Amino acid sequence: MSRIILVGSPNSGKSLLFNRLTGLSQKVANFPGITVDVGSGKLQEIPDTTLVDFPGTYSLQPISGEEEVAVEHFRRALDDADVTQVLCLIDATRMEKSLYFTLQVIRECERHGKQVVVLANMMDVLTRHKIEVDLAGLSHAIHAPIIPISARKGTGIDNLLKHLRHNIDNPKGGIDAGLAETPDELLRGNAHQLATRFGPRGDILIKSQARLDSFFLHSTLGGFAFFGIMYLLFQSIFTWSAPAMDAVETGLAALSDVIVPAISNQTASDFTADALFSGIGAFLVFVPQIFVLTFIIGLLEDSGYMARAALICHRPLKVFGLTGKSFIPMLSGVACAIPAIYAARSIDSPKKRLLTYMAIPLMPCSARLPVYTLLIAAFIPQTTALGGLVGLQGLAMFLIYFFGMACALLVTGLVSRNSPDQYNDLPFVLEMPPYRVPGLKPLLRNSWNRSKHFVTKAGKIIFAVTVVIWVLGYFPNHGADLSASWLGSIGHVVEPIFAPLGLDWRYGVAVLTSFLAREVFVGTLGTMFGIEGADENMVPLVEQIQASGLSVGSGLALLVFFAIALMCVSTMAILGKESRSNTLALKMFAAYGIAAYILAVGVYNLALLFGI
Amino acid sequence: MNTTVCSLWSLGAGQRCRIESYDKALAENYRVRMMELGFHPGEVVTCLQAPALSAPKVYRVSNTMFSLDDEVASHIRVSLLGTDAT
Repeated sequence: MSRIILVGSPNSGKSLLFNRLTGLSQKVANFPGITVDVGSGKLQEIPDTTLVDFPGTYSLQPISGEEEVAVEHFRRALDDADVTQVLCLIDATRMEKSLYFTLQVIRECERHGKQVVVLANMMDVLTRHKIEVDLAGLSHAIHAPIIPISARKGTGIDNLLKHLRHNIDNPKGGIDAGLAETPDELLRGNAHQLATRFGPRGDILIKSQARLDSFFLHSTLGGFAFFGIMYLLFQSIFTWSAPAMDAVETGLAALSDVIVPAISNQTASDFTADALFSGIGAFLVFVPQIFVLTFIIGLLEDSGYMARAALICHRPLKVFGLTGKSFIPMLSGVACAIPAIYAARSIDSPKKRLLTYMAIPLMPCSARLPVYTLLIAAFIPQTTALGGLVGLQGLAMFLIYFFGMACALLVTGLVSRNSPDQYNDLPFVLEMPPYRVPGLKPLLRNSWNRSKHFVTKAGKIIFAVTVVIWVLGYFPNHGADLSASWLGSIGHVVEPIFAPLGLDWRYGVAVLTSFLAREVFVGTLGTMFGIEGADENMVPLVEQIQASGLSVGSGLALLVFFAIALMCVSTMAILGKESRSNTLALKMFAAYGIAAYILAVGVYNLALLFGI
Repeated sequence: MNTTVCSLWSLGAGQRCRIESYDKALAENYRVRMMELGFHPGEVVTCLQAPALSAPKVYRVSNTMFSLDDEVASHIRVSLLGTDAT
C-alpha cells in the first residue's frame, strides 16, 4: 500500500483538497497531548494508495508543544518506506508565507530521498482577478514540479492525479534541489526572493479585503455589524433549532408510544420508557442545536468573519487571560456547553483553549433555565419596582445569568494569573483570511459529522450513567416509590451534606439526579412531590415547594449552587474527549462542585443572618 | 534623511514602515515565527486597520494580512515611510 503525505501552511485549502481526493470529510487540527490528529483516506481514483493529511503549520521549526508533535509526526512519516511522495500545498495568492515552509519540506524530502510535488492552490482566485504568477519559473528555481489547482473548483485535479499515477508507476529517487544542507535562515531569505520574483503581482486582493475590513473593523459600524451577527447566532441557537428539537422530542415520544406498550415484561418496559426514551432522548434532543450552531460557526469561519470577530473581542477578554477566539465558544455556552466545547477547537493557543474550557461550564446554559425559573418563581416575589419598570423575578434572572458569566471570567482571570511561564504560550498573531462566499456542501457535511461525533462519543457515557441512575431509582421496589429506592436511601445518607443549605433528602436526591443533566432537577422534584409532568407545568410544583417550608435562603443557595456546579454528564464526556484529558473534566467537576457548595452554604448563612 | 524610529504598534491606519529590528525582550521563538510569516528586517509593512480600544491592529506584509496585538507588535522596531492609500 503506497502512502502519499499532504502538507501545507494553515489556510492553504489543504482539507478541501484532501476531501476532494478521498471523498471523505476529515477535519484536521492540532490538539493538546502527546498525539496529533492526522487524517487519512484512500485516494478514490488511485487504488491501493492512501493520502495522509497533516495539520497545517507555518514552519518545521515548532514554537509550541503541539507544533512539535505535528512536526515530529511528519519527520517520522518521511522515514516510512511506504511513503512514496509528499504533496506540498501553497496558497498561490499569498506565496511568501507558504514558500518558506515549502522549501523546508523540499529540504527534508531531499534528505530522506522522497519525491515532492508542489501544488499551487487557489488559482481560480488569481484567474478571476487576472493576476499572473510565474509557476514555470518557480518550479525551475526550486527543482520541483508545480501543478496549478483549485481545490475549491476542482480544476487541475485530473492533472494532479495523472502526475501521481506516473510517479507511482515510475518510481525514481528523491528530489535533488541542492537544499539538503541549507539552514533555515537562508531558506527564509530564499522564500522572500522567490515570492518577489515569481509571486503574484499587484494588490487587488488585499485592496478588496481592506475595503470590507474598513466596514467590519470600523470603530462604530463594525460594532453594529458584530452585534447584529451575534444576534443572528443566538437566534439560530434558540429559535431556528427549536422546531427540529421539538420534532426529535415528538418523534421519540411517538416511537415510545408504539414500542413501550409492546413490551410485556414490566421491568423491561419501564427501562425502555424511562432510561432509553426519557434518559437518552433528553440528550438526543440537543443534536439539532449542535447541527445548527456548527453550521453557523462554520459559515462565520469560511466567510472570513470569525477572524474579525476574534480581533474585536480580543482586548476585553485578554484582561481575563482569554483570547478573542474564546468569544464564540463562550457565547455558544449560553445555549449549551456541548457545542461550545466543540467550538473551542478553533483556539490555537493550548493555554487559552484550556482557559476557555474552564469558562464554558460556568456560562448560563439553557439547561439551567428551568431550574432558575422554578426556584425564582418559588422564592422571589412577583412584584415590581421603580413604578413597574423592573420586575423582581426578571431582575433575579438577569442577576443569576450575570453571576455565571462573572464567575467564568473570574476563574479564567485567576487561573491565568497564577499560571507561570506565559512565554510557553502562543502570542496573538492571527492571519486574516480573505473574505469569500462559503460552500454549502462542506458546511453541511461538517455539521453532520459534528452531530454524529456527539451522538457516538458522548452517547456511550451518557447511556452508562443513565442506566446506573435508573437502576438506583427503580430497585428494589420496581419504581413504586422513589423514596424507598436505592437512590432514596442514598438521598437519606447524603442528607447531612445538604443540611447546611437547609435542604432535606428530597432536594438532595433531586440535586444528585441532576448531575445527569441540570433540568432533571425539576422532573425529579416533581416525582418526589407526586406531581406528574412538572417540567412542563411548574405551577403546582412551585406551590408544593413553597408549602414544604423551604426558606428563601435555601432557594438562593440552590440558585448559586446550580450556577457554578458542573452538573451535566454530556458536558463532562465531551470535555474529556475534546481536551483528551478525563482528568481535567474530573478536576473541574470536583473544583466547581466544591466551590458551588461552599458559596451556597455561605449564601444560606448570610440569608439567615439577615433573617431572610 | 531623518527617519522616525518607533514600534510597529505605534503605527496608525494607513501608515507604512520598514522593519528595522526586534527588541531583545521578544522571545527568540516569537521572533523566528514573525520572520517566517514575512516580518523580516528590511520588509515594508503597512498598518491597514487600527481599531478602537487598543484592539489588535491589522498589518499587511507582502500579500498577506496579519492581526497582531501589542504583546508582539510593540517589540518590533520600525522606521516610518509615510502613508499608503491602500
